Amino acid sequence: MADLDLRRLVPAHVRSFESYRPSNPDRELMRLYGVDHLHRLNNNENALGPPPAVREAVESFPSGVVTVYPNGDCFDLRHSLAGRFGKDPERFLVGNGSCEVIASVIKAFCGEGDNIVTADRTFAVYEWVAEFSGIKARLIPLRDMAFDPRGMLDAMDERTKILFVCNPNNPTGTYWDRATMDAFLDEVDGRAVVVIDEAYFEYVDREDYPDGMALMERHPNVIVFRTFSKMYALAALRVGYLCGSAAVVDMVRRTHVVYSVNTLAQRCAEAALRDDAPFIAATRTMVREARERLCPMFDAMGLEYIANEGNYLMVRVPMPDTLMYRKLMREGIMVRTMTGFRFPNWIRVSLVQGPVMEDFCRAFRRVLDKTA
Amino acid sequence: MQVRDHSVSLRLAAEARFILLVQGVVEQGAAAFGLDRGKALRLTMAAEELLSHLAETSAGVAVDLTLTPGGWCVRADFSFVADPSDLWAMNLAAREDIGPGRSMDRLGLLLAARMSDGFEIRLDGRVVHLELRQDHAYEAVTPRPVRAADARGEVRVVDDPEPALIREACALAVDHYPAHLVNETFFTPGKAVQMADRGDMTVALAVDGTGAPAGLMTWRSPSERSVGFCGPYVFVRGGGTAGKLEEWMFAAVARTRAVSLFSELATADLTAENYELLGRLPLGRPGLRGAMPADGAGQEGVELDILFRHLREDSGRAVWTHPALRPFLEAAYDQLVLMRDIREVDHAGADLPERSVFSARLRPELGIATLAPMVAGRDADQAVADHVRTLTHDGYRSILFRLDLAHGWQAALAGSLVRGGFAPRLVLPDAGKSDMVVFLHG
Repeated sequence: MADLDLRRLVPAHVRSFESYRPSNPDRELMRLYGVDHLHRLNNNENALGPPPAVREAVESFPSGVVTVYPNGDCFDLRHSLAGRFGKDPERFLVGNGSCEVIASVIKAFCGEGDNIVTADRTFAVYEWVAEFSGIKARLIPLRDMAFDPRGMLDAMDERTKILFVCNPNNPTGTYWDRATMDAFLDEVDGRAVVVIDEAYFEYVDREDYPDGMALMERHPNVIVFRTFSKMYALAALRVGYLCGSAAVVDMVRRTHVVYSVNTLAQRCAEAALRDDAPFIAATRTMVREARERLCPMFDAMGLEYIANEGNYLMVRVPMPDTLMYRKLMREGIMVRTMTGFRFPNWIRVSLVQGPVMEDFCRAFRRVLDKTA
Repeated sequence: MQVRDHSVSLRLAAEARFILLVQGVVEQGAAAFGLDRGKALRLTMAAEELLSHLAETSAGVAVDLTLTPGGWCVRADFSFVADPSDLWAMNLAAREDIGPGRSMDRLGLLLAARMSDGFEIRLDGRVVHLELRQDHAYEAVTPRPVRAADARGEVRVVDDPEPALIREACALAVDHYPAHLVNETFFTPGKAVQMADRGDMTVALAVDGTGAPAGLMTWRSPSERSVGFCGPYVFVRGGGTAGKLEEWMFAAVARTRAVSLFSELATADLTAENYELLGRLPLGRPGLRGAMPADGAGQEGVELDILFRHLREDSGRAVWTHPALRPFLEAAYDQLVLMRDIREVDHAGADLPERSVFSARLRPELGIATLAPMVAGRDADQAVADHVRTLTHDGYRSILFRLDLAHGWQAALAGSLVRGGFAPRLVLPDAGKSDMVVFLHG
């Protein structure tokens, strides 16, 4: 049999793309690093666990349902979202995590020779999906650790189809206030789709923080991304969604994979929306207290840090972030290295319950003391 | 349809009657690709010797020859099915076994290796890929006395620097730094420009407010998983040039398929907290090229720091080791906080090819030779000893040997190396398919 000629079969932009390699399962990491526990502070998961209604949905999930395909377009969940946000259910599209809806939007609007514009130091998936789809990603440097609206506008040309704005930005936690966002959208003036990624929306409690769900009513080119992974602690179930104008969402739906969200995930997401105010309040309190615990320690140690919105912060360590990761892993603490986000020597830490934060502080101090 | 890389390919049988054909294709092709006549003839003779060798040892076997322009070089790549240990005569040490009064049947192969500026053998299943490389001739620069001045205006790293700027920066690096710390390519700036143009070397170049070169840093990918850098070379005082160059490099490589970043030649200007120190390697005869540096680097006892940083989180893996290497590896991994399952392998030699083939990267001006196994044979102990003897005789004072611990057959060579007077000096995480161990002789 002839050899498979992958050079001929696979497009150059795919051949040159580096696939993402997730980390090993916790049990394997714990064995390798010789620890009996592992605090996951690397993925900004909500350590409080899902809201009580979700637990009930999981526990009462009938096994007979697993033989039946899920609802292909998340009918019930879309209606729940529509009820929550006061919009037509057809304006929502649910995906297997936000990564899937990012891919659907890029497929819907970008063809060969088109480009997207986003920041150089933000959630990497916009850039990744664009690049492995053969679409050029124009990456604009952050200004004062925040998205630079002027830089993004200047980078636009007639082939720019999508501008991705992560608000608040992962990993810096900075956000555009309402005035900045309004001015930006006015200047884009419908020339391109503007995706406002609000994955951490529910964590922000600021007067001037703009709500993309409202903005899209005045700007039909706006698509808002949200997720059940971050605030609602459904990361394992992978549920993300987008909302936009009916016409825009109709286009995106044409490229979207149906049946990608399983039945349990749909039911749990619906449940998460029920009476979620106390859960969100408790989570915000946990995050605020964690931030107030860590920042003074970094101040006392003379370390630079960035602690803004979202359930995470970043701190600059006096060594390669990857070495800090390994040293903390040996202490049973898992953080996110930031070289891949183009923040060399910074680590990102999820903000969780007090006792875990105390463990982190002890381990962090121990590692740096050893280094000194 | 347009031909993208303008290569020339030929499929033929390994028979003596095709030697003239190969001569014609390589000689005229190399000339068409810009090699000067002398260089083209050397590549032609090397290709002729190789086909002649195959005609004798593997008569009739199908041979694919591809001649490819590489910008700064021309490559002749031969692919064929053969016993790789038949290629032992390409070893540096083979000359002791070949010549008047000794075996003559591998003389052609020995000549082919010696006539090339570089050769590489790799195995893809049973297919041997043997690449002969001949570099273009370039004008060399020599160091001039120079003194660093203050940066004028803000220092910034430029996108896609002009070739003329790269040439100027290479020459400045030669002026400002001792020869043993300068990327050897900088001595021929024209070659550096073409390597950058081909993507065989990436250049980060900083300029000050007047547009004059302020600093330079280069890197390349010696393997899919690693990046090796030289520098940073800083020509001005102030301006944070080194940090800006390093940050530029990190941003460029952070989202590539590379996992590890290493210093090939680290200058004292780099930002220490950006790296982990893996160890120090002695330099053979530093400072022989160009003027003797004023900082004492031309004296005996100079060591080169080997630094690295991971670009991603390390989630551990298994590596192979020879029992003799295990204590060193355990200590090194513990110090580096690298989690590895260490699995032992010790070939008795029964299923190995008869002869070994080692690649050699030589820096004669520094007296450094770096060996790596391409084929490990039953003669490994002897092959190691022969290489050491040959290299020592030729004046190489630092003889290194690198093993990739992804491969059990390479790890098993550690026994021969230890018996041959080598000692493991450092681990290079993810420098090959997996971690590499560097041995030093003596």
